[in-house]
Amino acid sequence: MDVNLQPIIDSWPFLAKALGTTLYVSVASMVLGFMIGVAVGVLRTYGGRVLYVLLGFYVDTMRAIPLLVVLVWTFFAFPLLIGRSIDAVTAGIAGLGIHLGAYVAETIRAGLTSVRRNQMQAALALGMSRFQAIRTIILPQALVRMLPALGSLLVIAIKDSAIASVIAVPELLRQTQIVAGKTFRPFELYTAAMLVYFLLCYPVARAVDRLYRRVAHLGSS
Amino acid sequence: MNKADPILTFEAVHKRYGSVMALDGVNLSIRRGEVVCLIGPSGSGKSTLLRCANALDVLDSGRIVFEGNEVRSSEATVRHVRRRMGMVFQNFELFPHLTVLRNVTIGPTTVLGMRRAAAEGRAMALLSKVGLSEKAAVYPSALSGGQQQRVAIARALAMEPALMLFDEPTSALDPETIGEVLSVMKVLADEGMTMLVVTHEMDFARRVADHVAVFDKGRVIEEGSPKEVFENAMVPRTRDFLSHLGWHGETTIPTAASTREVS
Ligand SMILES: Nc1ncnc2c1ncn2[C@@H]1O[C@H](COP(=O)(O)OP(=O)(O)OP(=O)(O)O)[C@@H](O)[C@H]1O
Ligand SMILES: [Mg+2]
Repeated sequence: MDVNLQPIIDSWPFLAKALGTTLYVSVASMVLGFMIGVAVGVLRTYGGRVLYVLLGFYVDTMRAIPLLVVLVWTFFAFPLLIGRSIDAVTAGIAGLGIHLGAYVAETIRAGLTSVRRNQMQAALALGMSRFQAIRTIILPQALVRMLPALGSLLVIAIKDSAIASVIAVPELLRQTQIVAGKTFRPFELYTAAMLVYFLLCYPVARAVDRLYRRVAHLGSS
Repeated sequence: MNKADPILTFEAVHKRYGSVMALDGVNLSIRRGEVVCLIGPSGSGKSTLLRCANALDVLDSGRIVFEGNEVRSSEATVRHVRRRMGMVFQNFELFPHLTVLRNVTIGPTTVLGMRRAAAEGRAMALLSKVGLSEKAAVYPSALSGGQQQRVAIARALAMEPALMLFDEPTSALDPETIGEVLSVMKVLADEGMTMLVVTHEMDFARRVADHVAVFDKGRVIEEGSPKEVFENAMVPRTRDFLSHLGWHGETTIPTAASTREVS
């Protein structure tokens, strides 16, 4: 088998732009997923029975539906519901972020409940409101404790951005497919794509690991 | 304000957890500038009483009045009361993700809206008062138990409370660090701080307290000056309890190995 890297070199700008989209979609869906996840995790832990059940419905559905189906639904079905189309990148970020949010929420909830009860009491005893206590005392400790799990979710968010190729988000995998189809060089292109995903995810996983080892003591009350 | 005014009063306070009567009609009052030590066997409701005092727990009936306000009357009073009452816990409960300095400033900055610089000035003064100014930049995990508890005291003092609640502040400490915490508390008492202290340190109670209340099964079974309680206990249960702690009064020979454990 001969290996020919010329197609990759020729379509370099095109693929670089695709990598940019992958990064953009990953980061945007992470930000969305983490915002949703922190809010839902906190509200499910401290918001009382009704919110616990209502938001539990969100968490359970998202965990029960394949991400692929969520994305397809967001792009093809949701526009019919609201009566106007949405572009693929927006749909991709929304679908990925909402899906990720459910997992982040559960992780945050586990972290919050693992912080000992007396930490909340100590914060309240200083005169803090519950909101202040959660924001300044409990949540930071929960985040530290859950860092390894949250780090895995970060990596998953990057990897899952590839699934958005099915709704034609011009991200790395999708654009690689296009170039591979045009140049009849699937081996080189898909190998390159694989390598790029690895080079993207591996340092993130390692960095989170190292960070955790440095800060673990900050979460041990 | 009159020094003899009660700052905190418990009136017929009841609290139950399921079938357990944790507080069964507590009447007690603490006057300004006074140090009241609360002693009594494990499970008698001492911690519950302190938690009710600053509304970390809700009473079932009775009243707690602090500086003229009923503690549970409104959300605003609860916040006000907690701001004016410092609390020190058995297990320190320092915030592990914050430096020692930030542990002490976080109350003033988040609750009182104090500027960070001003709060740090106050915190450094308090840290040197408890002998830990050189530890300002470290995290609690790098401190010994006695040091952590002294930081916890500084954290509570940073709110400039009118009353300090201590819940067995030395029970989780190694014997060699108990003294450093007790001497900080003694300094506070000498400065006129009003204190309600749950403790098994009979020596501290005898030397520092103005008033001792003995707790059993959710009520105060005996109270009086340290002299009255330690040397002249009227209630047999008090004498039982004191002898369990290895306290046999001044007239008998103290046992060398006093047991801390209480059944
Ligand atoms: N949150 C709670 N839920 C259920 N029961 C509780 C709770 N807190 C305290 N109790 C019970 O109430 C009673 C009084 O407990 P409390 O902690 O006030 O005792 P204590 O005098 O502080 O004891 P110790 O010396 O062991 O600290 C005990 O029987 C305890 O089991
Ligand atoms: Mg207790």
